[in-house]
Amino acid sequence: MSFEDEVDAIEADTILGGEPFFSRAGGKIFIIWLVFTVIGVLIGFYAPHHLLPTLLSPEGGDVWATIVFFTVLAAPVAAFVYALAFYSLIAWRHKGNQDEPPPDAAPQRGNGPMTVLWLGVSTLLVVVLLFWGITVWSAQQISHPNTLQVNVTGQQWIWSYSYPGTGVSTHTLDLPLNRPVQFNVTSEDVTHGFWPAALGVQVDANPGVVTVIRSTPNKLGNFTVQCSQLCGLYHAFMNTKAAVVTPQQFASWLQSQGATPSAANTEAGTTPTAGTTTAMASS
Amino acid sequence: MTTAVAPPLLEDTELGPKAGGFYRHQNIFTGLGFGIGLGFIGWLVSHALLQGSNWGSDMVVTCTMFAWVIGFNIGMGTFNAPIRWMLGHDQTHEDELYAAGVGQGASRYLKFCTDHKVVGTQYLVLVMVLFGVGGTLAMMIRTQLITPHSSFLDPQTYNSIVTIHGMVMIIATIIMVSGPFANFIMPIMIGAKDMAFPRLNAMSFWVVVSAVPCLLATFFLGGVNAGWTTYAPLSVQAPPAMDTFALTIITFVVSVTVAGINTIVTVVTMRAKGMTMGRLPIFTWGTVVGSALGLYAMPAFLLVMTMMITDRATGTSFFVPQIGGSQWLYENIFWIMGHPEVYVILLPGVAAVLEITSTFARKPMFAYKVAIAGFVAIGVLAIMVWAHHMFTTGWAPNLAAPFMLTTELISIPTGIIFLCVIGTLWKGSIWTRLPMYFVYLFLWNFIIGGVTGIYLSDVPADQYFHGDMFVTAHFHYTLLGGAMIGATAAVCYWFPKMTGRMLNERIGKVAFWVIAAGIQITYFGQFWEGFQGMARRVAYYDPKFLDANVMSTVGAYILMSGWILFLYMMLHAWRNGAKAPANPWHAKTLEWKVPTPVPLENFLVDPVVTSDPYTYGEGVPDGQEVPDFAPSEEPELVPAGSTGPGDPGESGEVR
Repeated sequence: MSFEDEVDAIEADTILGGEPFFSRAGGKIFIIWLVFTVIGVLIGFYAPHHLLPTLLSPEGGDVWATIVFFTVLAAPVAAFVYALAFYSLIAWRHKGNQDEPPPDAAPQRGNGPMTVLWLGVSTLLVVVLLFWGITVWSAQQISHPNTLQVNVTGQQWIWSYSYPGTGVSTHTLDLPLNRPVQFNVTSEDVTHGFWPAALGVQVDANPGVVTVIRSTPNKLGNFTVQCSQLCGLYHAFMNTKAAVVTPQQFASWLQSQGATPSAANTEAGTTPTAGTTTAMASS
Repeated sequence: MTTAVAPPLLEDTELGPKAGGFYRHQNIFTGLGFGIGLGFIGWLVSHALLQGSNWGSDMVVTCTMFAWVIGFNIGMGTFNAPIRWMLGHDQTHEDELYAAGVGQGASRYLKFCTDHKVVGTQYLVLVMVLFGVGGTLAMMIRTQLITPHSSFLDPQTYNSIVTIHGMVMIIATIIMVSGPFANFIMPIMIGAKDMAFPRLNAMSFWVVVSAVPCLLATFFLGGVNAGWTTYAPLSVQAPPAMDTFALTIITFVVSVTVAGINTIVTVVTMRAKGMTMGRLPIFTWGTVVGSALGLYAMPAFLLVMTMMITDRATGTSFFVPQIGGSQWLYENIFWIMGHPEVYVILLPGVAAVLEITSTFARKPMFAYKVAIAGFVAIGVLAIMVWAHHMFTTGWAPNLAAPFMLTTELISIPTGIIFLCVIGTLWKGSIWTRLPMYFVYLFLWNFIIGGVTGIYLSDVPADQYFHGDMFVTAHFHYTLLGGAMIGATAAVCYWFPKMTGRMLNERIGKVAFWVIAAGIQITYFGQFWEGFQGMARRVAYYDPKFLDANVMSTVGAYILMSGWILFLYMMLHAWRNGAKAPANPWHAKTLEWKVPTPVPLENFLVDPVVTSDPYTYGEGVPDGQEVPDFAPSEEPELVPAGSTGPGDPGESGEVR
């Protein structure tokens, strides 16, 4: 009896009122599958909700949504593998003398339709994942007008920020609420990783080139900028305080940091001058 | 197979007093002597000539370590045969028998020995030693991280330990299956008398041995503080330890490349009569595809580390952006090696799992040809995914989508492996011996490793997770939980054949549960750290990550206890275990059809193959058998190695 015959028989029995569904193979597999799926989905909701730091931007929201969406897609698939594996163990484990092998099972060298179905489902899932990823990623690439430019410079083991046109250069990062910001990131010495985790974006700070990421903070709050590339002795201490503040607070903070009165950073800022820029920086 | 009249075994041959030539006087001690001696001379000469010039100490360290590697291998006898050929002498048959270990008892394990079974056993011991070193370093890392601001290690030591833990484990996992099992088991599986190039086989082992002290020497030369990826330009500025680190890798790549070529040539040319490519045991396919992928990947590692040494010791600037180089060049070449390399690690282990599943489910392997296609597809896709390690480096953002595509595509052939394992288990007669336990643990872990991989393959999510502990947990689930647990299953499966002893499964099952629990606790702790946003490779961390780190460290200690128990089980069985029968698992592949211990050149009578080895339950005689010639029919039976009446032809013939 082939695999599909078996499944058909199970289904026929269920429908035609043989034994109760849950005492049948299909029923048990379904229960195991359901348990693992529920656990997986619960983790997929719990982890981003309770473990991620407070996300302060739509890009962070994308991270959150991606985790949840991918978990909802992946949990049933993973649970299916677990269900079949554990059901096989429960149903067909050799229970007698373990010193001698059990009698051989009925041979089954393959199952064409099952293989095709398996490949089809995994291909479909990949297409969905890819579609999701590319859609989200390209939405993040759009540059907005009135973007605040922030030049970020990493050096062993501190971050420096400057706001072009204002003359302000600091070691703490303040960002105004609801205004698109573009980070032009570079490094003085070795490769660092510019990782404002709460904004859901990340890019390396490379010496000699400027890399660009964008984000639009849409919640007030404090967060930490960390270095995510091992950069030498005090890598662990290379983090700085950062905050998303109201535009008024941001303006007064700029003043307090010694901004020149004619702060020109209200329009799209100046393009970075250091080194070459990547394709993304051309906007 | 036993015969009524035991034919003379090749290893009982009486050798003349001069057989072996220099090999008679060479062993690991002469290797160490020559290595240290030549290393000292190298240091003396390079110090006199170069110290004080620009990059002097880098050149001195490089020369010294290079001299050590060459000296060690001269002392071991790696170059004996080529040098004799250059001088116009060939090795006599007696010399070759001596080099294969005839008449040397256990001391052949400390010598340059061309017998593939000796090499396999040597590799097994080396892998265990390397896991011991790497595991100890891992425990030091986890101990440091049990509190946010531990004073257990200073940051420089911590960074060095992180680096060397990574590199030791990478070396160990690359050779953990392709060393012991592809050398010991695979030639017997395909009906070959040895590997195609026995001397290169011994060379591949002793070359990697000579690399290990170079790697550990980094601790005494300032430490490599750049992580195992040694990203430029940090690594270009690192202490001289980085030179020996690069030299370690160059040496290691030579070993892996030689071993990979050997494996492929063996499978292509040395198969027994009737052993077509479609009848090969799946494990053989896994090692072949893994080796082929290694031949593509590892030279890039050699290349990038050679450029690293020239940057550091001769003033080139491939990777120094300040003087015209590019760190992205480094990262690209590195990951062109780095991603195929994880499949070099994974494929042989996965193939061993498939082999074991069929034996212990007493059922033919499900979708054998689809699995081969899956291996090949993984191999092809693996060379096209490297830049997913560079999603957040800022290099070529426009390539994010294509690399997302290839990365996610690779989950399709990986899914085939799950299909094959599940399909084989389905309605099998599942014999829950120790190897099967580890097959289930492999399935459990590898699913988690695979599912967490899809978050990282997605660029927007990767922008959060890149460079944080989530990545660490993910690849430990795949490489430790998947590949290494697969290799552990392989150890449990082939241990009786390799050592002639049975493992004590009662201890083994306790170790299994401790290891299984340890892995989940350790790496779920790290997933937790990763979600919270703790960066990798930090010696100190914010107290908000404390709970997750405590969980991970506690899990790591549990995991360590499990491995120590497992090691105890292995060593105890090796000395005192019950004698193993030739075929304790009633398996159908050829390695179980030869006696234990396996005689030199494996087969007294050449095997005949009429089908693949997966004929469980099909009611037909095994298609892979070693014929049992009755002495009355074959009184003139001679040791394998010469053509007898039962010999279907030259063993080296391509079929």
